Amino acid sequence: MSDALKTIIEKEVADNTILVYGKGTKDAPRCGFTAETIQFFNSFGYPFEVVDVLEDMNKRTALAEMTDWPTLPKVFINGKFYGDTDILQPMAENGELKTVLEEAFAGKGVTPTIQLR
Amino acid sequence: MIDETTMVGMIRAVMPDAQIMIVDRNGTMDHFNVSVASKAFEGKSLMDRHRMVEGALKAARNDGRIHALEIKTAILE
Repeated sequence: MSDALKTIIEKEVADNTILVYGKGTKDAPRCGFTAETIQFFNSFGYPFEVVDVLEDMNKRTALAEMTDWPTLPKVFINGKFYGDTDILQPMAENGELKTVLEEAFAGKGVTPTIQLR
Repeated sequence: MIDETTMVGMIRAVMPDAQIMIVDRNGTMDHFNVSVASKAFEGKSLMDRHRMVEGALKAARNDGRIHALEIKTAILE
């Protein structure tokens, strides 16, 4: 894995409190799981960014190595890797994710546009 | 495309005690919901449990027989 690529990824992760690496964009997801993840975060009302890596095999390989996670989408919250909705959905159900998000956005002047469930 | 027997074999090669339920989501034999229960998950985080199931099926992932997996895990009592 090139150091340059790793640096780019680390900057993207640092710059976005919620970051989704997926296939396609927020408006035009090109994979069912990416679409599901976008819908998932829409329901929380916090800002999040989606980076399309569908065509970028080098970056996908680098991401897989960095996370030890073979598949897309890949979700980072506040710099920490959380896998995908298979992990996040149970965390949402037991209330853990609400705490993670509140802490991630604490002091950033961001309030969710909708009430957290 | 991959059949359920092959997938069960791959998972049991890593976790011999695994109880497995597989649902072919679209009838295309490449999108699956896989539920695995095993004692091997004890003490493992949810993410590590997923890594174990993905690892067991890695060969079929890499050659494209499996396109998508939704994984659920449980500790076998």
